[in-house]
Amino acid sequence: MSSMTSRENTAPVRVDPASIRARLAGQHGRRFWRSLEELADSEAFHAWLKSQHPRLAAAVPLDRRGFLKLLGASLALAGLSACSHPPETEIVPYVHKPIGQIDGLPRYFATVLTRHGYAHGVLVRDDMGRPTKVEGNPQHPASLGGTDIFAQAAILQLWDPDRSQSVMHGNTVASWDDFAGVLADRAMHFDANGGAGMRVLIGPTTSPTLIAQLAALEKRYPHARWHVHDPGDVAGRNELARHHFDRAKVIVSLDADFLSDPVAGVRHARDFIAARNPEDARQSMSRLYVVEPTPSVTGSMADHRLPLASTAIPAFAGRLAARVAAGDTSGAGSAHAHARWVNAVAKDLLAHHGASLVVAGHTQPESVHALARSMNAALGSIGETVEYTASLIATPNSGDGSLAALVEDMHAGKVDTLLMLGVNPVYDAPFDVDMIAALRRVPHTLHLGLYRDETGMLAGWHAPQAHELEAWGDARAFDGTASIAQPLIAPLYGGHSAIEVMAMLLGGAPAEGHALVRQAWRKQLDDDKAWNEALQSGVISIPPPLRGDPIRADGGEAALPLRHESERARSAMRGMAFAANPDIPPRLRRDSLRSEGGENLELLFRPDATIDYGAWSNNGWLQELPKPLTQLTWDNVVLVSPALAKKLGVQNFEGVELRSHGHSLRGPVWIMPGQAERSVTVHFGYGRKHAGRVADGQGFDAYALRTAVSPWLATDLEIVATGERYEIAQTQHHFAMDGRDPLRVGTLDEFMADPKFATAHDRYGPNPPSLYPDYPPADYAWGMSIDLNACIGCKACTIACQSENNIPVVGKAQVRRGRELHWIRVDRYYEGAAENPDSYNQPVPCMMCEHAPCEVVCPVDATVHNTEGLNVQVYNRCVGTRFCSNNCPYKVRRFNFMQYADKHTPQYKAMRNPEVTVRRRGVMEKCTYCIQRIETAHIEADKRDRRIRDGEIVTACQAACPTQAIRFGDISDKQSNVSQAKASPRNYAMLNELGTRPRTTYLARIRNPNPALKDEGS
Amino acid sequence: MAQIFPKRFALWFQLFLIAVAVGFVSWAFLWRWAMADPVGIREPVEQPVPFSHKHHVGDDGIDCRYCHTSVGQSAYAGIPPLSTCMTCHSQLYTHQKVLAPLLTAFDSGVPLHWKRVYKLPDFVYFNHGIHIAKGVGCASCHGAVDQMPLMSRQQHLTMQWCLACHRDPEKHLRPRAEIFNLHWHPKNQLALGTRLMRKYQIDKRRLTDCSTCHR
Repeated sequence: MSSMTSRENTAPVRVDPASIRARLAGQHGRRFWRSLEELADSEAFHAWLKSQHPRLAAAVPLDRRGFLKLLGASLALAGLSACSHPPETEIVPYVHKPIGQIDGLPRYFATVLTRHGYAHGVLVRDDMGRPTKVEGNPQHPASLGGTDIFAQAAILQLWDPDRSQSVMHGNTVASWDDFAGVLADRAMHFDANGGAGMRVLIGPTTSPTLIAQLAALEKRYPHARWHVHDPGDVAGRNELARHHFDRAKVIVSLDADFLSDPVAGVRHARDFIAARNPEDARQSMSRLYVVEPTPSVTGSMADHRLPLASTAIPAFAGRLAARVAAGDTSGAGSAHAHARWVNAVAKDLLAHHGASLVVAGHTQPESVHALARSMNAALGSIGETVEYTASLIATPNSGDGSLAALVEDMHAGKVDTLLMLGVNPVYDAPFDVDMIAALRRVPHTLHLGLYRDETGMLAGWHAPQAHELEAWGDARAFDGTASIAQPLIAPLYGGHSAIEVMAMLLGGAPAEGHALVRQAWRKQLDDDKAWNEALQSGVISIPPPLRGDPIRADGGEAALPLRHESERARSAMRGMAFAANPDIPPRLRRDSLRSEGGENLELLFRPDATIDYGAWSNNGWLQELPKPLTQLTWDNVVLVSPALAKKLGVQNFEGVELRSHGHSLRGPVWIMPGQAERSVTVHFGYGRKHAGRVADGQGFDAYALRTAVSPWLATDLEIVATGERYEIAQTQHHFAMDGRDPLRVGTLDEFMADPKFATAHDRYGPNPPSLYPDYPPADYAWGMSIDLNACIGCKACTIACQSENNIPVVGKAQVRRGRELHWIRVDRYYEGAAENPDSYNQPVPCMMCEHAPCEVVCPVDATVHNTEGLNVQVYNRCVGTRFCSNNCPYKVRRFNFMQYADKHTPQYKAMRNPEVTVRRRGVMEKCTYCIQRIETAHIEADKRDRRIRDGEIVTACQAACPTQAIRFGDISDKQSNVSQAKASPRNYAMLNELGTRPRTTYLARIRNPNPALKDEGS
Repeated sequence: MAQIFPKRFALWFQLFLIAVAVGFVSWAFLWRWAMADPVGIREPVEQPVPFSHKHHVGDDGIDCRYCHTSVGQSAYAGIPPLSTCMTCHSQLYTHQKVLAPLLTAFDSGVPLHWKRVYKLPDFVYFNHGIHIAKGVGCASCHGAVDQMPLMSRQQHLTMQWCLACHRDPEKHLRPRAEIFNLHWHPKNQLALGTRLMRKYQIDKRRLTDCSTCHR
């Protein structure tokens, strides 16, 4: 039965843990599962599956007679709907053509997009003046060509019609002149009193231009102060660790989700995967241990994962550190919990001196960071796999630069004018920082923001901020590399950037972004040549100030030698030596023991995987992207462990109330396999009130329980089931390939013993028997290889594909019916017990079968084979029978049940890729291997009568992938990159036994477990 | 057997038949009219400035690529920016009434809105550059523009018409030197075309793939 048939996701199936255990006990070989319901595999689940299929009929409640009437009417009226002339269109040429532009050819501009202040280098495609697609900048250290989901979604953010479009004074529309007038007026007032009462609140920044402006502000108004607010607290990380995951053989993550780190996640992923190639003869594969309370992307890549409450991690780290410090590889541990784990990990770490790495997560207290540093020092890793440097985020030279300090002063009436640049503290400040009441006490509040959000609604003045793709700017990457950000388009709504507004406040020339940045860089990029080179490459080739001190607000960059060990690390080491015998350093003992022994629940606060802390809430692409691991869309949930859910007696999507610090919130439960038993996780970014039409009213606001003192954790949690039921859209069961064997996984040892283990049990060889004749060979045969061992499940491919191929957002109600349109989905499989399963990711684009089942069933030849082996979908022929989708064993075809593509909003029209058709209602669509890129390369090569070079065609998913897991090219050329990937012994075809001969094949996932932890579960 | 219908019913029946026939025919005409292109084939299209290809190409001998600069590189031949017009018309005929919209547009910076003459559906991705590179002359689709005072569409632009050439390109190919020659007629097109097919490495199999034009 096709999964295109509408299916509701809310499974009213009671998951019985006893039956799960019984099933797992009696099974042989590998068994992957995608949800607890499937794992339980109860009668009820099958009954539910069957009962859910006829939902399509239920969607249109019609009797036979009514149906025939409608059928007749629609036939009679069908002709009318087509009754129109082809539209008369116009050509509007330029008055003066921009230099260097060739009509119809895209151009790429190097710039940077920032996340929490840190730069991510990108190349942005410009189609006749419209930015339409973001690619990674191969020259930029934080990108190396890859991107994360946020960089891809920046295009939709730029074109979001809900962005703030005018200056507002209260509820009246005002002009920029008015806004500048107020700033000038305040500046005059402060000139008299030295800036007493003047405050500026900014997000985290590394921008040298803005930092210089802040220094100028401090100089001109000695009593003025500025503060940094970041809900992600990246600014609060006073140290920046530069990790070299490619050099590490053993990595231990203490609640560190370094693969989705906003500072350098893309680079981390590339480095991490570089050291995990089992076929690389030059190096052995690295091993990753993850200790974490709530499953993360990094945890899903772990060879061994230990679910452990966040409050228990300091104690665990203490034991591990003690063992490492003692250099004790005997393995004789005390009887404490996880003793085997600690011993095995310590032994592994010590065995790889200088090639091991301990990473502490930013949600962990400073003590864990100190322990991680001391372990790295003891293991000789500092300088090898990790370097500690100062944070690049600017902090004020004097005074407390925190939001809490600012709010305290606001309450005390010490603040006269507050200028908020690109921040939204009314939404994302902790609840104990009463921002709303504080704002009311400030006579003059001015807000600059991309949206007129919660803060913009409350501020006296609000002004539209220019998007990063609309404004000049600069920023530094995690390693200090600086880049100039150049605009791709003039501000759509006349917005200005933060540096331009700062210039208005400071007065004097220049006030325009380009001149400001140019002036800030006048020493380093003194002539046009250097400036243009910096713009063109996207990086400034001046030695970065990495090995230095914090970049101070005065702009000075003292070049200090690399600090191998920070002062804190040294003191931690001293503490550890003192406590060599007991497992836990004394400083931590009391605290952590209580939390480990007690029955307390803990509430963890985390950014949402796709919309971060709320800044991306109004982005439909990100809302609809199934969140890694949970596969949920459009909502946030309360993650609880299977054991806790049983104790509470709740099922998925049933409501709970969370109480902490006298506050409470309600939300739906999601039973998370692999969640630490006593940990409950909530995610930020939802419960928005003034984000825009996409985000408003979705989910619950987790900031309601967050405190400034303990931003990542609340230990006084009470949780009560409310009996409510929520309707949540999640894609877990969509497009299932039931009862088959799509995923192949082995351990490194298995791989060494039999490199071809992945295909060992295939019933047929690479070319199973077929009734259909082979197509004659052509000049090229396009194929794709996806390395499951390199896929971290970040889903950048899905968003990149959505951006490149004009894939519309369908909305929560449609996702609930299984109608999402993503051409490349990332399936997530679990293996093992629900308490701590292994998890696997599998991106599934079109398989481009050589003997495609979809082609033979199309009654109108709308899906056909082309000469070069692609299975093409012809939209203008498609009549929407959906036979092809029913016959597709991989479930990769997507149908436009409604007119999903917005044909009217001008912003969306401008956003689309002009090389790809915008599909209508009633048309089937699917992955095309980016046929537009193939054709463009074909035309360029054919014009010059040459062959298409290997690597000339890069599909959108391939380009975005941070780890280069996806490779594409000509498989008839044995030297091509993709052919070499397919020559790997790990290569296998999905559902090979069906004889479809897919052109997309997979490389099996290899895990590298520690033999000493063999029967420890994961 | 007695007659079921009275005699005068025959008239009504005949009238009904006529009505059906008339209705059917008028429906067909209505359909044709409704689906027709806004401007017919070889029917001149009125433009804000009555630009004459006959004068510029035929009389003055200006090369196609002087204005349509991107024809060899891009999918679009390119409609010239007004600054191209002003290379001559800043000096020539500046007081002519017909040129007034051009000068106003240039001075005010508000571009001219030309009517599109050759319109393909949005799902068709035609590329000028590859056709130029593979020896399809301008005149094959656009006709003898040097004889057109106002531009008009010369071909139906139906898929059948596209395919006629994509199936048998040898019937239309010409040497690259003659691409922009609007009045070039070979002695033996088939022999020449077959030779050029080999020379230009044209893979006929690919030409009729759906994906060649539809994405």
